[in-house]
Amino acid sequence: MATVETRPARLRRDLPQWLRALVRPVPLGLAAACVFLVVGSLLSNDFAQQTVAGLAQGTIFGSLALALVLIYRATEVINFAQGEMAMATTYVAYQLISWGLSYWEAFFATLVVAFVFGVVVQVVFIRPVQHTSVIAVVIVTVGLFILIDGLVTWKWGADLKFMPAPFGKTVYHVGGVAFAQQDLGTLLVSVLSVLLLWALFRFTKLGLAMRAAALRPASARLVGVRVDRMLAIGWGFAAVLGAVAGLMAEPAQYVLQPSLMQPILLYAFAAAVLGGLESPAGAVVGGIALGVFLNLVGQYVGFVTSELRLPFAFAVLLVVLLVKPAGLFGRARVRRV
Amino acid sequence: MKPSAVGLATTVVAGAVLALLPFALSSYHQGLAAQVGVYFIAILGLNILTGYSGQISIGHGAFMAIGGYTTAIMSRDHRTNLILTMLMALAICFVLGLVVGLPALRLSGVYLALATFALAVSVPQLPLKFSTFLGGSNGVQSAETVTHRWLYGASWTAAAILFVLAWLLLRGRTGRAFRAIRDSEIAATSSGVRLPIYKTLAFGVSAAYAGVAGSLYVLGTNGFAQPNEFGVLLSLQILVGAAVAGLGSLWGVLAGAAFVGLLPTISKDVPLVGSAHGQDVVFGLIVVLVMLLLPQGFAGFLARLARLRAARPASDRP
Amino acid sequence: MRINGRIGALVAALAVTGVAAGAAAGAHRADPGITKTSIKIGGTFPLTGVASLYKTIPAAEKAYYDYVNAHGGVNGRKIDFEILDDAYDPSKTVPLVQQLVEKDKVFAVVGSLGTAPGLATWGYLNSKKVPQVLLATGDSYWGFCVKKACAGSPKPWTSGWQPDYPGEGKVYGRYIAANMPNAKIGVLYQNDAYGKNYYAGLRVGLGAKKENIVDAESYDVTNPSLTQQILALKSKGADVFVVFATPSPTITALVTAAKVGWSPTTIINNVSANRLFLLAAAANGANVDGVISTTYVASPTTQPDLPGMKLAKQIIDQYAPSLASSFAQGDTNIVYGLGVAWTFVHALQKAGRNPTRASLMEALHSLNTSKNPCVYPGIKLQTSENDNYPIEQEIMIRWSGGARGDWHPFGKLLSGVR
Repeated sequence: MATVETRPARLRRDLPQWLRALVRPVPLGLAAACVFLVVGSLLSNDFAQQTVAGLAQGTIFGSLALALVLIYRATEVINFAQGEMAMATTYVAYQLISWGLSYWEAFFATLVVAFVFGVVVQVVFIRPVQHTSVIAVVIVTVGLFILIDGLVTWKWGADLKFMPAPFGKTVYHVGGVAFAQQDLGTLLVSVLSVLLLWALFRFTKLGLAMRAAALRPASARLVGVRVDRMLAIGWGFAAVLGAVAGLMAEPAQYVLQPSLMQPILLYAFAAAVLGGLESPAGAVVGGIALGVFLNLVGQYVGFVTSELRLPFAFAVLLVVLLVKPAGLFGRARVRRV
Repeated sequence: MKPSAVGLATTVVAGAVLALLPFALSSYHQGLAAQVGVYFIAILGLNILTGYSGQISIGHGAFMAIGGYTTAIMSRDHRTNLILTMLMALAICFVLGLVVGLPALRLSGVYLALATFALAVSVPQLPLKFSTFLGGSNGVQSAETVTHRWLYGASWTAAAILFVLAWLLLRGRTGRAFRAIRDSEIAATSSGVRLPIYKTLAFGVSAAYAGVAGSLYVLGTNGFAQPNEFGVLLSLQILVGAAVAGLGSLWGVLAGAAFVGLLPTISKDVPLVGSAHGQDVVFGLIVVLVMLLLPQGFAGFLARLARLRAARPASDRP
Repeated sequence: MRINGRIGALVAALAVTGVAAGAAAGAHRADPGITKTSIKIGGTFPLTGVASLYKTIPAAEKAYYDYVNAHGGVNGRKIDFEILDDAYDPSKTVPLVQQLVEKDKVFAVVGSLGTAPGLATWGYLNSKKVPQVLLATGDSYWGFCVKKACAGSPKPWTSGWQPDYPGEGKVYGRYIAANMPNAKIGVLYQNDAYGKNYYAGLRVGLGAKKENIVDAESYDVTNPSLTQQILALKSKGADVFVVFATPSPTITALVTAAKVGWSPTTIINNVSANRLFLLAAAANGANVDGVISTTYVASPTTQPDLPGMKLAKQIIDQYAPSLASSFAQGDTNIVYGLGVAWTFVHALQKAGRNPTRASLMEALHSLNTSKNPCVYPGIKLQTSENDNYPIEQEIMIRWSGGARGDWHPFGKLLSGVR
């Protein structure tokens, strides 16, 4: 599956030179942003608090965005059902807890269930259409979105459900800024899961095989990699990441309901594209950046009231795409003629 | 697309059926048929953009919203004739489509899809922000409402006109340019096709169609335009309809429109899971199954049938 | 000749009587949805989608109708209640309501939930003279558009049930002005008509004291987090926190306020004051003691010995056992649903042995009863020619008892809440 695209058609006048120079050093820009955040936090408690709150929310966006990127890298498909799959696995955790398991027992059991769920979805629903057209696969994921939402609502109902808080309700106050243990825990879990996944891809044979299957499926087959199996496993891991996102999103919203992941999915799309759909690091950075940025803008820019928060996220995304059509960390690929 | 004798005959028969149908249907079913007409127009527009010029858009709900709100507001504030508001919706959305098409030139594939998705998500928020002019969450009510029969007539007349216009557009030079762009942008440019012009034109035309569909959609909702009517799911439904129709063919559009327009209503009555949730389960399941079985959509299915028939040995033919 | 004349007159008299009888009988048969043994009604509710946590309301209504049917129905007619799902989307509500009227031929549309869905269909229902009654929303439209032209024409066939949102907001405003005249007030409200109506009412109730509002922040239903807004309110120094939100964001607001170390006097609106939601907030660390709200229905947990609550328990246990556990924990949405259904049955009884749509509306426009078993004791359902708000009384409640506590009423029953 040769994964290249045409360079997008250019307007008659190309971007001015000075703008291109500014945008090229993306990591430099991010470093500058971090400095800005630290300085601002030191100067103003409110700024610090908004940043911290944004960080916590951003990691949840980032986890789901990472799941989206994983699947996109492997199959060039945007999985519209990612959020609903994450939500469904969170309900599984809820069910396990109500059957008597402790929170963490249910947590890890759910991750296993999520893996199997992801594999099954890929094999049963995606594999048959994956070689036909991108649109067909996207539509299947849209159908799954609707189907899974309907199934969860049918089985568990749409009323509010409550789950135990995994990290308790303690809040630490450091220099006038409140750090909730819940948010710190979310940060830890998300970072851990990203690191573990990275280690998997970088240091294990399985990870290598999966990367090969995604980048050069034909050549990978020649060296004995079972490409189809790798794709299924990729979906499995993506579902696990989604489950983590869902399990961390629930305590942030304090209730469990079928619409749990729907707003998050939208921000996760923005984060994934912002970071560049091929870049796992980009997804995580994109998510965190979005979370922090939106909080700060909401606090300090009067025009961006609550109705415009989501559109604003996408507006930022569009601006970035116009300047860097493949996202912050993506590489614009050129089609060889 | 040459006008074959069979094709022409089919069109005439279809037209006659559509014209006579309202007399056979109850008022309630006329309303349903009008809904199918609305989706027909929207899917037709998306097909022009995605099927013929290869640019994916998941944002057509936004243009439907703009068209629908145009009708509601012009009728409420200026008592404008409803047909006139539909024409206004067409014009406004055409211009907006061109505007959207311009930055879209820099994007392609999934990035374009997500950028249009951004539109679908953002436009419905605008009436909440500017609630004094755009009605906020209490919506905008048009001054006039229409009967099912009027709606049926208006939707299918508009559908017929827009279908013919699409056909004319696509069989001419513009259509060839679109198809060239879809198949290979580089080859198209080397053949002298000016990409920016045709790509933005495709966006404009497609958005104009969605605008008209939106007007009729709001008229079908008793002339009431409200943000919840234009959620993300609407854009996704149109995309589903276009996929079921089969991209790159105008005939499948009817199947796609019927699918998206009627299936949710029919799913409600399936005694499968005995409650309202059954509707989503059934609809989602059927969407998935249809895509698994007919990945090229209805048009692809027809094409396959045609190929099968052509491949049959002479002795088997009647 | 004379015999013929007399016979002729007799025949004529019989004919006239026959026609009159036929016309009278025909007038009774004129309204669809009603037969000698049944009466068909329906309503649209968000059973799926963002507002689906209210689905206990139609379930409770159905339980009440089942109870009434098991006891002979209303004048021998059993109530057949059709519950349809519109997912809070007006473009779905319209075809569903058209289906109810044109295909299912219901007698009345009863209890539908949602302002926007109601506004999308009230023109249609009023033009077809189909009752659209006991709407489950606190919008003021349902009260003042009977004679007044709203959106082009009066809507005499539409009516509500609960106290309206601006009225409730006024109660809070008056309370703050009277009891905390120097407080700095911070308001969090949902950015749609729901939240804005409450906020407008609050400002009216505060009167001159509305200058004490130091900040008002809105939020959108697509925001999963409210931290930014709450931090803003805290940083402006507010010591009274008024929350006009739906249940899930209310819980988030309460918990977030605690998380950032802010302990204002908190007021929440009635819709979100269900005991279950406060328990959830408390479980997540919110400071729930002292939170204030209002109610107009009885409580299954603090008033279980009221005859109405005993009856409610009986009905739920027998006809909607799946709701029993929420009921036992104090889910007042269930009580709401039962109260609405009771009102419909009461109006139907008042509408005569052979009710028509017009007689139903007349009954609803002339309510005068204290016998509703589900409303807070002392509340009277009253409507008249110039007052189409059935319930205009509320009582203030305050939470105590922490994570296992409950709402306790204080003060007097407030009247004229509008």
